[in-house]
Order: sequence, then C-alpha cells, then structure tokens
Amino acid sequence: MSRGAILLLSGLVLLSIVLQVAVLPVYLRPSFKPDLLLVIMVFMTLRSSFQVGAPLAWLLGMLNDAFSGLYLGLNAAGFLVIFLVMRSLTDRLYADSAVLFVLAVAGVTFASFTLNLLLMVMFTASPGIAYSMVSDIVPRLLVNSFVASLVTLFPGFDCQQEVS
Amino acid sequence: MEFLKKYAFVLLTGIGILAALIIFSLNVPHNREANAIERVALSVLSPIFQPAYRLSGFVEDVWDGYISLVDTHRENLRLRDDIRALNERVREGNELFLANQRLERLLDMKKNIKAPTVGARVIGEDATSWFRTLILNQGASSGIREGMAVIAADGIVGQIVKVSTSTSRVILLTDHASGIAATIQRSRARGVVKGKSEMLCSLEFTTREEDVKVGDAVISSGIGGVFRKGLPIGEVTMVKRGEYGIFQTVTIRPSVNLAHLEEVLIVLGGDNE
Repeated sequence: MSRGAILLLSGLVLLSIVLQVAVLPVYLRPSFKPDLLLVIMVFMTLRSSFQVGAPLAWLLGMLNDAFSGLYLGLNAAGFLVIFLVMRSLTDRLYADSAVLFVLAVAGVTFASFTLNLLLMVMFTASPGIAYSMVSDIVPRLLVNSFVASLVTLFPGFDCQQEVS
Repeated sequence: MEFLKKYAFVLLTGIGILAALIIFSLNVPHNREANAIERVALSVLSPIFQPAYRLSGFVEDVWDGYISLVDTHRENLRLRDDIRALNERVREGNELFLANQRLERLLDMKKNIKAPTVGARVIGEDATSWFRTLILNQGASSGIREGMAVIAADGIVGQIVKVSTSTSRVILLTDHASGIAATIQRSRARGVVKGKSEMLCSLEFTTREEDVKVGDAVISSGIGGVFRKGLPIGEVTMVKRGEYGIFQTVTIRPSVNLAHLEEVLIVLGGDNE
C-alpha cells in the first residue's frame, strides 16, 4: 500500500467516524444512518490483497466497536469473518463492477446484522435486542446500498489497479 | 461739448438710473397690474417657459432618480448586512436564552444532589443504530469513572460505560443492555427498567398483582447503588396483564428527551448514601 493510499484511507476512515458519530445523528434517525465503515470495508475487501485487507477489516471493526455499543470486538469479529468469506469469492468475480459493489454492500450489511445478532444472543445479556435489530435491517440495507451506489460515482472507482 | 464728451458716461448712467427710478415710481401705485412691458415680455416668453420648465423637471427627475438609485442600491446592501447581523444576534440571543433555561433547570437538579457532580456536553452519538450510547466531553481527567450515574434536568439519562482521558460514553436507559432498579411512585411497586427500543423502556419483573396504572411516575428505587432514590425515570404509557404468567408488561416513556439531549450531569459517586 502506497503512502498516498494510506493517507487517503486514514482520512476517509476519520471522516466516516466523524460523520457517523457527530454529524449524521443530528440530521438522521438512527435507523437511517449509513454504516460508512462497513462500506469502506467492503471496498477494501474487493480491492485489496489478503495481507492488507484482513487486518484492515479487523481494525475497521474494532474502530466501529470503539464508538458503538458496549462490546469491543463484536464488529471486529464480524468484519473479519465477512472479509474471509468475501475474499474467497471475489477471485471469481469482476470486482470492479459498480453493481457488484452495491450488491456486496447490501449482502455484507445483512451478513453483519446476522453475525452481530448471533454473537450477541450467544454471548451477551441483551434481551429484546433482536426485535430492534430486525426492525432496523430494511432501512439499513437501503441506506447502505444507496451510499454504496454513491461511492461508485466517484471518479476512479472502476480503475483496475489493486490496492496492495 | 467738451464737458459732455468728458462726462458722457456718467451722464448717461445717471439718466438711465433716473429713467429706471421714474418708471419704478410710476409703477408703484399699479404694482399689482402688469404693464405693457411685462405683458409683452410674458406673452413672448411664455411659450418657451413651459417646455423649458418641463424639460428641466424631466432632467431633474432623471438626475434625482439616478442619484436615488445609486443611494438605494448602497442602502439596500447596507440594510441587508444590518438584517443579517441582527438576525445573527437574534439567533444567538435565542440560543443563549434556551441554553440558559436548560442550564438553570440542570442547576436546580444539581442542588438536589448531595454528591459532587460534573457538567458535560453531548458531543456524539452511537456509531450504529442498534445501541443507544452518547459520547460526552468529560473523561477521566475530570474524575469520571465507569459506572457513574448520568442525569439531566428531567431525570435519569444512563450510566457511564467507557472512559477515556477527555471523553466518556454513557449507555442510555433505552439501550437493551441497560437496567435500573425502579419503583412506581404512587403504589411503590418495584421492578427493573430495561431499554426496549429507540425511545421506550419496559418495567420488568413487576408481578401481576402489583398496582401499576397508565400515567404513573416511575422513579429510581436506590437499589444497586448507582442512582439515588427518587430520581425520575419516566411515565407508564402501557400496562398489559395476560391471562397467564407471573409478571405484567409495563411500557415506560423516559422523562428525559434523549433525542435532543445537550447537557448532562455526571454524579461523581456517593449520592446514594
């Protein structure tokens, strides 16, 4: 990974956290708040190498956990599992496709929801959280897919270069 | 002749002045009536006066209009700036007024608490929508520790769960992982307030026989040592008793408007004693 790419990624992650924690909650209902770190993670999964992507997915998950809920490592574990599953599939797919990216974000949103729910039900005492999570999943899927579709509009999205 | 030649100018001037005075003196009794000279002069020049006067008026109007336009434009810009500045001052004034009201109420709440407290501002919310936590601008450097109670002017907000040097996170009473020992103020029925969804809580473990009605105030019972006894939690909005089961289903709306919370008090401990 070049120094420029590291800087760009760090800036994007920082901006995403600030948006998610301090800016978007003022304007949006919680259900309609996009998971920007998840979108970045999917992008990195499709574009980066295994050596870079795996620790990065885990770190992004840890960062998400640091600003969300009580359970540090919940999203980190989820992101890492999702990265490993997706990575095994992306070699057979055209990873630069905009449609695939949007579909991948939608799929990962659902997978993340399932994994988080499973881990929380298994390891934590949060009765009733399943109801809240299920009621949130549809707007969450739509918002994340919408944000992913916006990402595909950025110039250079469909470039063939792999971030490694 | 020599004399005339020498004083011709003086003489003519004198005759002219004399003639003028004579004409003036002759006209003094008839000063309200135009004489022949006046009538002729007026008759000859009046057709010219009218258009000339109109033209002058037009020129004056155009000139004045232009000058006014320039002034109006300048004035308009100045007034716009003035309005902007005044609006900004009004907005700031309103904001200060509202902040003052909120802080006054918070101060009233602080007076009721014996333990030392630290005021904090909300600077962020939970990154995801599944959990209900807030980020506050006070941390370990201000003496904040995990487990401390967080209250607002209207009642209980939640409990500190994560602390860094300069910030801390509070889990709201509406989060699924939150639990606060509570009492129905009227009937003294007990239970545990658990987070239910975005804006609601439920009173758990309240047996079917307990007297709970819609509109009852729910307060902290003091059990558990985190929240002082008697702090407002919320109001009962729904009570459901099924045909079977030991407990009744009680839904509570928090007394604090958690969606628009800006300032809170963190109780530094010992208030329960």
